[in-house]
Amino acid sequence: MCASLPTLAEPQHFSLIERVLFLALAAASAWAFWRRFGPIFNKILHSKKDPGFSLAPIGRRVRDFVWEVVLQAKVISQRPLAGIAHALVFWAFCAFALVTLNHCAQALSLDFLAPQGRFGRFYFWFAAVFALACSAGILGLFIRRFFVRPKWLGQISPESGFIAMLIFALMATYLAAFYVAGTGWPGHALWWAHTLVLLVFLPLIPHTKHLHLLLSPFTVFFSRGGFSKIPPLAGDEDFGLVTGRDLTQIVSLQAYSCVECGRCTEHCPANNTGKELNPKEIVLGLRAYLNDLGPQSEEPLLGKYNSQQAAFECTTCGACEFQCPVGIEHLPILVGLRRGAVNTGEWEDSHGAKLFLALERGSNALGLPAAERDKFIEKNALPIYDGSQEYCLWLGCMGAYDPRGREIVLSLVAIMRHLGITFGVPRKEKCTGDPVRRLGNDLLFQQLAESNLESLAQARTKKILSICPHCVRTIQEDWKEFGAPPEVEHHSEFLARHLPELNLVSGLDLPHQAKSGPGGSFVSGHDFSRAENAQTMTGALAPEVTNKERIVFHDPCYLGRYRNVYDQPRAVVASAGELVEAPRHRERSFCCGAGGGLAFLGEEGGERVSHVRAAELVATGATTVAAACPFCNTMFRDALTQVSESRPGAPTVQLVDIAQLAARNLPHETN
Amino acid sequence: MKIIVAIKQVPERDAPVRIAANHKSIDEADHQWAMNEPDAYALEEALQLKEKNGGEVIVLSAGPERVGSTIREALAKGADRAIHVVSDDLASRDALGTARLLAEAIKPENPDLVLTGLQSEDLGLGQTGVIVAELLGLPHSTLIVQVEKTDTGLKVKRELEEGWFQHIELPLPAVLTIQSGGNKLRYATLMGIKRAKTKPVHAVAAADLGSAAAPVLTLEHIALPSKQKSTQILPGSAKEAAAALVEKLKFEARVL
Amino acid sequence: MSILLVLEESGGKIKRTSWEAAAAAQKLANGEGVTAVVIGAQTEALATEAADRGFAAVIRLEHPLLAQYTADGYVSAIHQLIDSAKPAYVVLPHTYQVRDYAPVLATRMGQVLIGDVVAIGDGPTFTRQLMQGRLNGSFKPTGSGPYFVSVQAGAFRADAATSSASAPVSTFTPTLEASQIRTRPSEPFRGSAQTVDLGSAQMIVSVGRGIREAENLPLIENLAAALGAEIAASRPICDNGWLPMERQVGSSGQSVAPKLYVAVGISGAIQHLVGMKASQCIVAINKDRDAPIFEVADYGIVGDLFEVVPALTEAVKAAK
Repeated sequence: MCASLPTLAEPQHFSLIERVLFLALAAASAWAFWRRFGPIFNKILHSKKDPGFSLAPIGRRVRDFVWEVVLQAKVISQRPLAGIAHALVFWAFCAFALVTLNHCAQALSLDFLAPQGRFGRFYFWFAAVFALACSAGILGLFIRRFFVRPKWLGQISPESGFIAMLIFALMATYLAAFYVAGTGWPGHALWWAHTLVLLVFLPLIPHTKHLHLLLSPFTVFFSRGGFSKIPPLAGDEDFGLVTGRDLTQIVSLQAYSCVECGRCTEHCPANNTGKELNPKEIVLGLRAYLNDLGPQSEEPLLGKYNSQQAAFECTTCGACEFQCPVGIEHLPILVGLRRGAVNTGEWEDSHGAKLFLALERGSNALGLPAAERDKFIEKNALPIYDGSQEYCLWLGCMGAYDPRGREIVLSLVAIMRHLGITFGVPRKEKCTGDPVRRLGNDLLFQQLAESNLESLAQARTKKILSICPHCVRTIQEDWKEFGAPPEVEHHSEFLARHLPELNLVSGLDLPHQAKSGPGGSFVSGHDFSRAENAQTMTGALAPEVTNKERIVFHDPCYLGRYRNVYDQPRAVVASAGELVEAPRHRERSFCCGAGGGLAFLGEEGGERVSHVRAAELVATGATTVAAACPFCNTMFRDALTQVSESRPGAPTVQLVDIAQLAARNLPHETN
Repeated sequence: MKIIVAIKQVPERDAPVRIAANHKSIDEADHQWAMNEPDAYALEEALQLKEKNGGEVIVLSAGPERVGSTIREALAKGADRAIHVVSDDLASRDALGTARLLAEAIKPENPDLVLTGLQSEDLGLGQTGVIVAELLGLPHSTLIVQVEKTDTGLKVKRELEEGWFQHIELPLPAVLTIQSGGNKLRYATLMGIKRAKTKPVHAVAAADLGSAAAPVLTLEHIALPSKQKSTQILPGSAKEAAAALVEKLKFEARVL
Repeated sequence: MSILLVLEESGGKIKRTSWEAAAAAQKLANGEGVTAVVIGAQTEALATEAADRGFAAVIRLEHPLLAQYTADGYVSAIHQLIDSAKPAYVVLPHTYQVRDYAPVLATRMGQVLIGDVVAIGDGPTFTRQLMQGRLNGSFKPTGSGPYFVSVQAGAFRADAATSSASAPVSTFTPTLEASQIRTRPSEPFRGSAQTVDLGSAQMIVSVGRGIREAENLPLIENLAAALGAEIAASRPICDNGWLPMERQVGSSGQSVAPKLYVAVGISGAIQHLVGMKASQCIVAINKDRDAPIFEVADYGIVGDLFEVVPALTEAVKAAK
């Protein structure tokens, strides 16, 4: 080492008084800590046990723990700068574990890290690096919270500032020790300074959000896993989250782990359009409930601490749960609160009741007679699935009854016929139950799931193909509670696999191709200058030559965040034109507003989610919006017209489903 | 207030309509069954009256065993108990015969009020409630959209043609037939269904309520109407099409 | 066989549905005479109106207690008349009023009302609709009679024919006590004028984007006025503020099931359809022949609404 670097201090010696004082203060600090943490620990422990909880598969838990806690991957990837700053602080805390232990042991002459020994010297320097990093990190976070003041962090909390200063002090006193000789009073003073900061910090940890220091590793480890995993109801008296007695250990643990970072709220489509719903406040509402009333209370959860209105503004888009760095699962909480209101009949909403009554008496969420679906099937000569075909094509409520949904189905049918892939539609189809499941009506959902599972099993259904991500999700995941659903796939996954066969060659720079026709407009239809090429391509006429139509793809929540499918629909779009991304895309995609059963409920307050998103899509400069979900399609139809009307002179933005893009260049005989 | 609600189980709206071979009935083979919707409104009215005035709501339904599911649905929505008049050949009775059964089941209960829906979704006679009133010797009113209890009995709001209404006062006990749409229906809840399991259902055989007299009205023949529902596009100039439309509305659709 | 026909009045005039029932009664009579009955406290004008409509006789069933309709009053009065006149058939128009008292009357005489008849066939058999119009059933009454038949509005064409001979008019005074009448009706009143109650409207004219501008709305208002219909709109019209939100029909607005729904310039997007699909009779006017609205319509006119709607308004006025 160079002479200019500081040397490590000699071990210190402590008088008896100092030792006694230290022990007394440490005891006091520990007592103060437990006084706050004890009740919280007990509340979590005394919460209802999670039905069906099992530690297995442990591999998944360990993997999540390493990825999210140890590597801080979610924290960093979702908010890079602040995430790295936080990661540095966290890693410093880990690195300092030994140092802190050693520091306290020193007072009792039990220290084990000798500064002159090889390991000790290495470790102290190792920790010093982290101390520097941590100081930088905590400084950065402090500046962000108190000077930059992002909206999501909420009110300025003096306590956060104090804690930040304590952490900084811990690092500073540690580093300063390199420059001060161990023996002598400055060294001692520094030791005591560091110790006092430590002992003051400890009891502050269980105070509000700093509890995450202790809890979040456990929260991540004990999470339910998957995404939006809605737990089954247990027994005859379980109706969802009605009172404190329904809060389970996992929910209580999650409520106490909230760091109040506001990442959930930042991406909430309801909150971003002026509605009452604030995902962070939902979790903190539960925490306040637990603090005030505890987990055995019979007070309703929706009332003083959380509002029913807010709970029913959620589109279940999942942006909140997806973002949470401490593993809080917002969707089971929101759906649980809704269950509590709906399964007990507390929720009085005329549109909601209409939806439930429509499904009580009929087969689809739109309240239309099943004969309409039969007419559609007959008119388009769609075969009925009888077990002999490869795919069962699930129409869904939108595909069977909505004029736009039907167009999507017919495009997909044309493609399947062109590819020679056999398929049939179910003879009888009831709504998969997605809207009632997300609204919390377990009675109806069970009836629909069981009825559908039975009729699909009777037809010996093996593989289902659907145009609707909501149907796909509900069939694959939510029906599991009541039986074994067949395999199911979304049409984007199917199309991506078959892209090469669809001859969607367009917008490529081919030598003798005219890029634009007379007047500079698109050359549509068939380009006969490439007639000789047409003969060499199997089955298709010459592809449409376009001027690279700019198509912006909107990731549906239930396809992207819920199913992790981002690339397949993009492959389809990219082969049909130039793929353009919206600012909020892939896992950050901004909901269209239809999910969570909201497409069937009444007027929304504030701005319309669909309009906000439509404006964002239009602002990319694309001429076409590509959707992959019939609900997104319906929501954007009106929204895009209105957005277009407010921009006179600009070309109207087209709206298509990826199936329609893929079917564009099919030979007309099969259309 | 002790209220009896007479509820009929009818084929589900989406049920395929197939005529039986003998042309005298409908093939019920793979039908699913549901509560007659106007009766659901009657039940809703009863439940709201109970919530306002206290008392008991009893569901009454006649038919074979499958009627049990509709009775349970009514109990799940909030009725307190039920009476099931078990009969496997209800179709052989006419409206008078069915009403006699119901009246006999109602008599021992001595209710304050009997409610039924305005008419059923299958036969659509709209008479059973009125006949029951006559058999029980009680005053009645039909097409009721609102019911209010008063010191002297009831004050009800009755729907008249063309957007007119009238109030009627009548003493209790009485019979009312309830028009759809007067209230907002409540949805069935999980909690309701679970609670319904413990509510009593009293089954009584139709034969025990008196033998059926010979019917005075018989259904001889069922057939599909000659005109099926299909869209008629009216051609011609605006004037011609308009005139044709008015003709159709007056004499074919009979809505003008 | 003798036929008694009950005529119903509204505002001092005999209602059109009664003349339609008269046509049915004449068909049933098959050449023999029909006796018409008018009921009330002061029936002279009604009797005069009925006198030259081709009946064999007109009876004034008159009593002060029949001034307002009550089931008890009407049933007792008509029962006494039937006991006296001994008809084989009693024919009535199928009105709300008849549905209220005729079943009582029939029960008192050991019969069942054959209600809402749409056709009379040989036998005679009487055809009624079943399963909400999806089936027709033929019914035959048995027992000693008299048989009670009520006739669906519009099932028979009211004969405008007047006969030169005036039918003899007689008065029948039933015995009625005030204590017999157990219900106390009030004067009829209109539904509340302030709130728009599309749910109870019998007829609705609904307007969509096809109207293009708010300035063109009077076209729709005229048609609605001619029909006596309420005005409704699809969502974009209400969003633009051209009509209040209470007039919106659709998934986020009201659900309606009127007798007649006229969709003008509405394409038929699913959000709108779910709100009006249950209407008994749907008429669509749109210039796009592929508009989804035509799939649910009973009658459609493919054309320019700016031509069709005024023409329709005129045609409706002429027909009334």
